[in-house]
Amino acid sequence: MSAAANMRYHLHVNIIGRAFLRLNRLRAARRSRRGTGWKSEVLEHPLKISARTKELVAAHYLRGRYANLHDKVAWVTSGAPVEFLKALGFYLLYPENHGAVCGTLRVAEDISSKAENAGYSRDICSYARTDIGALLSGRTPVGRLPRPDLLLACTNICQTVLYWYRVLAHHFKVPLIVIDTPFIYSEAGDHSFAYVQRQLEEAIPTAEKVAGRSLRHSKLVDITRLSRTATQLWMDLLGRCSHRPSPISVFDQFIQMAPIVEMRGESSTVDLYAAMLREVDDRISRGTGAVRNERLRLLWDNLPVWYRMRWLAEFLGSHGVVVAASTYTNAWGELTDLIDPDHPLESMARTYLHPILNRGTGHKLATMKKIVDHYQLDGAILHSDRSCKPYSVGQMDQRERLTSECGIPALLLEADHSDPRAFSEEQVANRLASFIEILADRI
Amino acid sequence: MVDALPAIPHRSEVINAHKEKGGSVAAVLPIHYPRALLRAFNVLPVEVWGPPGPQPGRGAEHLQSYVCSIVRNALGFLLSGGLDKVDILVVPHACDSLQGLGSLLIDFVVPRQAVIPVYLPRGYRTCDIDFLTEELRGVYRQLEEITSCSPSEHDLLECIHREEEADGILAQLSSRRTGLQAGDAAFYRLIRSREYLPAETFIGLAGEVLSEAALKEAASAGAENRIPILLSGIVPEPMALFDTITDLGATVVADDLACCGRRLYESGSSDEPFQRMAERIIKGPPDPTRGSPIEERFDHLCRLIERSGACGVVFLNITFCEPELFDLPDLQGALQGAGIPSITIETDLAESMSHRTRTRIEAFLEMIA
Repeated sequence: MSAAANMRYHLHVNIIGRAFLRLNRLRAARRSRRGTGWKSEVLEHPLKISARTKELVAAHYLRGRYANLHDKVAWVTSGAPVEFLKALGFYLLYPENHGAVCGTLRVAEDISSKAENAGYSRDICSYARTDIGALLSGRTPVGRLPRPDLLLACTNICQTVLYWYRVLAHHFKVPLIVIDTPFIYSEAGDHSFAYVQRQLEEAIPTAEKVAGRSLRHSKLVDITRLSRTATQLWMDLLGRCSHRPSPISVFDQFIQMAPIVEMRGESSTVDLYAAMLREVDDRISRGTGAVRNERLRLLWDNLPVWYRMRWLAEFLGSHGVVVAASTYTNAWGELTDLIDPDHPLESMARTYLHPILNRGTGHKLATMKKIVDHYQLDGAILHSDRSCKPYSVGQMDQRERLTSECGIPALLLEADHSDPRAFSEEQVANRLASFIEILADRI
Repeated sequence: MVDALPAIPHRSEVINAHKEKGGSVAAVLPIHYPRALLRAFNVLPVEVWGPPGPQPGRGAEHLQSYVCSIVRNALGFLLSGGLDKVDILVVPHACDSLQGLGSLLIDFVVPRQAVIPVYLPRGYRTCDIDFLTEELRGVYRQLEEITSCSPSEHDLLECIHREEEADGILAQLSSRRTGLQAGDAAFYRLIRSREYLPAETFIGLAGEVLSEAALKEAASAGAENRIPILLSGIVPEPMALFDTITDLGATVVADDLACCGRRLYESGSSDEPFQRMAERIIKGPPDPTRGSPIEERFDHLCRLIERSGACGVVFLNITFCEPELFDLPDLQGALQGAGIPSITIETDLAESMSHRTRTRIEAFLEMIA
């Protein structure tokens, strides 16, 4: 790293960038105090801390913009065991999160069309299309994505990431580490656990070589501890939604989840969620709910529909419906107890083998039932996501079982997490309205 | 070229004959699995690639429309009683859709038959072989429980050697296809009979085809006047595709199909049966479902093209098949760079051969002729 590059990095990231982001945060906080945001007659204002979350995420992408001047860069899948890469000083980019940002800002269709024009089918995951479109065209709403020095794909969320990262490896000609996590149909065998741990052990020398430094055990322990603390805080935050009225909705959770996905293992993430928890507790003490007139409480299954979050929140809110819990946001905290900072590699193997997406359809149903019970929910919306088969296959039976075994009406909603071409607003509005009528008749 | 190959026993005849002799039958979903392990328990593996045709039964009650037709048809077939004669269902983990199917069968559909999922590692490392070795031991224990048999190591090795012999003959058939007295449709019916014939029957049948006499007779009826093409994809369905290719003056001289060329496993080297079975699968030809790098797939295609003299590649893609779809742009781009034309044809097992597909193949063949 040259001194000039180092200076350029610090100038853009730590001096100009930081000041600019702080100014933006102050502006956003002022706007929030004025009550602008989502339909205030039906929904409570977004959390005040949202401006800080936004600043943190923006700072992460700002760092990414100049990361090639200063750090080694790894592109990683959202469920990847990143703690060892963090301990080696890598800047981590999550293409899936970038896909979600593009979806939220409604530029995913335009960017993914670049990939489609290059021959990538519309039948592949829209996150992957957006990512490939961004790398082929250089277009991104975050300014610039850093070039990776290393790729890390973990199959614990889907096999799609393996196909996707092979494309990235072919494009960038950089090493690809695959952590293969055997799918758990019922219980994980010892050989599956040993296999994942061994892959992690074997991945470290490759990552060390790219990083140009050796992994320090104490650093790995510290980062694993921060990961555990952050996921525990995240889980505490979600748990607060069992209160009536629910202080935040899953739409708030979706907005606030970026740091737990892409910045776990960082002290700033721990601080953010600790402060967020205080604000949420304050809402609870004041009896403030995310939906002003909470009548019905629902479960959300699967990824968000990023480009229609606000519309969905307002539509449901206007009917007194709060979506209080989701299997998706729950997934980022439910494994906290498996994380053991004193045995980082072993616990990483166990934790990253067990995400909900790496477990059977029956396990997901059991998780849904547990959530329905804990959060006292009246119904469920199952987002049948064209782009996410592992999450969506099984939903037709899960919907049927939720109704027949728990007496919970459930709606299957066809869409896509990032591609708006798979979303029909009128059709969704009609289906939601009928569903709410059914639910309302039951209470 | 004529369709002159020995008669191939029908799938149901083979199943009935095996059951009459006291054996069991396993329906096996795509792609890779340990045939020898099943045979050691006197279980005949019969593969289920769909089957093609309109989706039967109630598969649509469990699977969304964006799941591939191989999986949807397989579930529909099971639910409509098409697999009533089988005793076991083996679901190898080839992709997210097959993962979902295996899980649905275990958790919700719960068929009468025992369901055995097999996880196939996505790599070529020693740790992948070691994992698969242990996974196969787990399958052995499940089969032991189901059949109440405990084949010895010797029994296992005997079955492995027989399967290796059958695979060796399959590889010979594949490489000497242009010298055989068979059209594409007949040739693929023969090699796909490996999907359900016991290895010993296949060895006899294929051995007959490979006999010197047949080759001599065929020497004058080679494929030199036809346009040689390579077929890549999952499964060549609908099989009417071969009639179209023949009608249009072309012939398939090599393939990179999941049900055929990607399963030309070499013999294993270990004397330990489970490790040997694992090695064979892991060291098989490049396959996107097992995580083969795109470069390896391209090199493999180039080798096949060079060896066979193919002058174009037809990528036959089943709708919604992500493992294939991700590689296509890079593979087609690299082939184009190497001066090899290619085309992608999208198919769905639930649909018959369309006129549009025929026209596209025709235009492609005209271009490369």
